[in-house]
Amino acid sequence: MTKKRTGVFVCHCGTNIAATVDVSRLAKEMANEETVAFSKDYVYMCSDPGQNSVIEAIKENNLDSVVVTCCSPNLHEKTFRDNATRAGISGFTCEIANIREQCAWVHKDRGEATAKAIKISRSAVRRVARNKSLEPIAVPVTRRVMVIGGGIAGIQSALDIANAGLEVILVEKLATIGGHMLQLSETFPTLDCSQCILSPKMVEVSRHPKIKLMTYSEVQEVTGAVGNFRVKVLQKPTYVDPEACKLCDECTVVCPVVVPNEHDLGLTSRRAIHIPFAQAIPASYTLDESACLGLNPIRCGKCKDVCEAGAINYDMLPKTVIEDVGAIVVATGFDLYPQEKILEYGAGNVEDVLDGLQFERLCSASGATKGHVLRPSDRKEPKDVVFIQCVGSRDPAQHCAYCSKICCMYTAKHARLYKHHVPDGRAYVFYIDIRSGGKGYEEFVQRAMEEDETIYLRGRVSKLYRKDGKVRVLGTDTLTGQNVEIDADMVVLALAMQPSKGTEEIAKVLKIGRDKDGFLAEAHPKLKPVESVTGGIYLCGAAQGPKDIPETVAQASAAAAKVIGLLSSDTLNHTPTVARVRRSHCTGCEMCVTACPYKAIRLENGKAVVNEVLCEGCGSCSATCLRAAIEVRNVTLLQVHEMIEACLNV
Amino acid sequence: MINIQDIRDTARDMLAKGEVRAVIGWRAGSRGMPAEPAVITAPEQADELVWDPTCYHNLALHLVEDRKFLAHARKTSGAPIAIVAKGCDARAVVVLMQENYFKREDVYIIGVSCEGSGVLAEWKLARHLNGAVPTAAAFAGDEFTFATAAGEKRVPARDVMADRCLECRSPFPKEHNVALGEDKTGRDLAAPFAALARFETRSEGERWEFWQRQFERCIRCFACRSVCPMCYCEECVVDSINIAVAPDTTAEEKANRIRWIERSATRSENITYHMTRAMHLAGRCVDCGECERVCPVNIPLRLLNNKMEREARERFGYEPGASIGGPSLVASFRDDDPGDFIR
Amino acid sequence: MSEQQAYEPKIVAFLCKWCSSAGSDLAGVSRIQYPANATPITVPCSGSVSPMYILSAFNKGADGVLVSGCHIGDCHYMEGNFLARRKIHLVKELLQFIGVEENRFRMSWVSAAEGAKYAEVVKEFVEDLRPLGPQEKLKAQRT
Repeated sequence: MTKKRTGVFVCHCGTNIAATVDVSRLAKEMANEETVAFSKDYVYMCSDPGQNSVIEAIKENNLDSVVVTCCSPNLHEKTFRDNATRAGISGFTCEIANIREQCAWVHKDRGEATAKAIKISRSAVRRVARNKSLEPIAVPVTRRVMVIGGGIAGIQSALDIANAGLEVILVEKLATIGGHMLQLSETFPTLDCSQCILSPKMVEVSRHPKIKLMTYSEVQEVTGAVGNFRVKVLQKPTYVDPEACKLCDECTVVCPVVVPNEHDLGLTSRRAIHIPFAQAIPASYTLDESACLGLNPIRCGKCKDVCEAGAINYDMLPKTVIEDVGAIVVATGFDLYPQEKILEYGAGNVEDVLDGLQFERLCSASGATKGHVLRPSDRKEPKDVVFIQCVGSRDPAQHCAYCSKICCMYTAKHARLYKHHVPDGRAYVFYIDIRSGGKGYEEFVQRAMEEDETIYLRGRVSKLYRKDGKVRVLGTDTLTGQNVEIDADMVVLALAMQPSKGTEEIAKVLKIGRDKDGFLAEAHPKLKPVESVTGGIYLCGAAQGPKDIPETVAQASAAAAKVIGLLSSDTLNHTPTVARVRRSHCTGCEMCVTACPYKAIRLENGKAVVNEVLCEGCGSCSATCLRAAIEVRNVTLLQVHEMIEACLNV
Repeated sequence: MINIQDIRDTARDMLAKGEVRAVIGWRAGSRGMPAEPAVITAPEQADELVWDPTCYHNLALHLVEDRKFLAHARKTSGAPIAIVAKGCDARAVVVLMQENYFKREDVYIIGVSCEGSGVLAEWKLARHLNGAVPTAAAFAGDEFTFATAAGEKRVPARDVMADRCLECRSPFPKEHNVALGEDKTGRDLAAPFAALARFETRSEGERWEFWQRQFERCIRCFACRSVCPMCYCEECVVDSINIAVAPDTTAEEKANRIRWIERSATRSENITYHMTRAMHLAGRCVDCGECERVCPVNIPLRLLNNKMEREARERFGYEPGASIGGPSLVASFRDDDPGDFIR
Repeated sequence: MSEQQAYEPKIVAFLCKWCSSAGSDLAGVSRIQYPANATPITVPCSGSVSPMYILSAFNKGADGVLVSGCHIGDCHYMEGNFLARRKIHLVKELLQFIGVEENRFRMSWVSAAEGAKYAEVVKEFVEDLRPLGPQEKLKAQRT
């Protein structure tokens, strides 16, 4: 083996490091290391002159590897690896020794800090002595994208990606796209009709030549890695041919089965054969198998009998479709926290106590009461309506610890809409705070209070119950110090937003993480809000956390931008610090195969073989193997062994 | 009670028909007893096979040796090989198959049940024979009989059986092609891991005292490793002397073997070796007891391996040698694995 | 000041790159001061920490060994810390069984947001190690 020639570059970082660590002594100590051919210190190694000096030193001294002792690798590992490449050596022969965040900044005693910095640096030097000159692995990519979830987030993302020229497959589990935004009446702060602003986008999706729409479908399995995913999608049978269906509605007239209508959140009913709402996309009816009497002319068959278009086909089968895509956008949205869990507010059993989406359906012209605000119990117009904010949110003891962000705004909206519908009615809002941070939001809330004369009471409601045909609400007004009792005709609860049903399953299928509240986890809370921790999979919308429509649309476009960037060339660079098998030691026991979180190892002819594209270099295989037959390049067992020795001054 | 003829007939038959190329079993030892492992390849040799309380060896070791021989000689195995396996040994074979060291169809298991008698621990025998030298041993229900110059001696099996047999819960070989003897499972004369529980009543200081004395005696002869069927690794990770060199081993690799421990048989190095071995056997050791039996300085190695086995069973619900198809202990996990020790 | 230096325990800390090392970085950014006894070795994942590393660290004279990774469910590599949890449990049990002081080996979950926790973990570890003195049981006696 030719003698290693490592260059050590000790950064002062101004006084950040130099004030506590004796940097010139550190440089001298490193010069004594057997494999070090060059060692110096400089005030700001990451500055232009600093970086240039590294490049010069590599060239002039024939260095084959570099250790920079400085700040955290999170900041400048890429910088110095790029310098190494520019100087003509592999970027992977450059390692960072963190003597700032993990040393100079956390210790006061100069002697102790310097001693520790010497250990850390020596450890890096010994490691780098065995680093191989690796080059990134080029991986060809599939320039197609899958968007999971057909609400506003999925729709926006799909349109942005398709408009950039990439093929998009939009998968939605319901029979129509549109999501919860479709159920809204008007949106804040403009009081735009929700359907009016959403429908054009829905139609654009259905007509877009680059978008393949798969509704009534669910993702079952995902294999592969960034640039090359293989997705198995189950397309459930609707039993209605969407090309043939004329939307004549004759079938619903004869269908004997009546079930609650999910689109109206149970406020109305529908038949087994139904269209979720009149302007559904795709424009077709759907036969709900679970409600239908039996898909069989002997059991019923009435809908098929009356269908002049001949669109109904009981013999439709579920289809499994396999799609190869290079990136996936997850936009699976939210659901409301179940009212049944709020025991103090009736646990869903008190009549005329609604959640926000149900109230939207009452307000909506296409909804349960044709746009009139009426009590579900007796269809009378409510004259006193109580709106309660923070139901289930901001409650770490019993429900959700977080704030659901949109409730203050939509409660103000609900109060305003109610007052517009019932001008002589009284609207009361029980609140803890008013969070109205968006553009025009604060003004909107003020108008609710002043123009629409909504009565805002700062306090909580301790309980509510049915009494004499009304809902008695017991609350408090902390600003006056008085208890408040209201006999309301209707109560609307601003329930917390939670990740939609199925989020846990889809996260497992995609192998992406979830945060402590079950929302999909972003890679970095500040700087990477739309990337998941798994390469090639992006997040947007309420699936990632509670948010309103403008933020959702922004995130959807952001995720689209990331996807477009990722797939902008035909190949991707995959980091080469992956696992390597020592065939002479491998006995084919498959423990590494089982341990690998990415299923990147398989057995071939009795020995383990690593798929370098799937391997992320985590090292689980290496720690599991009993016979040192597999290890991660540039973090080998021997390297760690020598780092341990360096840390103990052996 | 197993009729020895059944074992011999099965072996003879399979060899005659060419269904197996060899049978690993026991034959009478050179001094009559104890029995010794034998590998027979001709049908006539079947008459040499014996089955008695001195058949304590774990014959799975010889399966491993057979495979290594074939691998080094670059021969393919051809017909399967048969092994006479006790309940404990059969579990060792299962572990080897779980790790793909053998394909199931390459080994024909002639299971033999000790029917709860266990096998002999020779060191326990001395006090029962009053100085008489035994020349043969035989199973006799709940007793062992010994032929001596002073006539036949009968000794209750539970008084002289190996310690591990006292706690054994699976005397019947669950994995087998053919099984001889009764399925007397679940018999235990002592609570499982009883010796381990007793040991753990010692304080930290007392434990160290104990193990320090044990490992100071260790001479690193590696008999424990040599006799263990699970220690089939070509190169033992922790031992820098035993280095495997293959045609593709580079000069750099040869020069850069990791010396996890020094070669000297000092206490610290011995402990590190034994702890590494215990870790590597976690979930794989079936408590055949051979390591402890062969140790020339009588280190209670079973205690160390039992500790890992009990952790595997009680904390992780994992039983070594129970299933060929399942994942190994350290390559898998459960969502509810204990984690209270983590800050 | 006495002639002899007061005993300072030497700790080797295996920190996973994505969580614990980042948490340690955050402690630095926040300028939280803690004892200098622990020298960090950054590994890709707590799941990549082989039991050999731990035994070797003690064999080479570490007075304490720390392994720190992402919280369960948050592993950057999804399952690495689940595997670590099992193996480290076995190593810990074995060390205690042999009679090595319980306080010499510990494992923690430190997320990238838990700078203060990392400092606490090190502080506590050093305090717990001081009364135990230098580790002699597994340390190789070199002539």
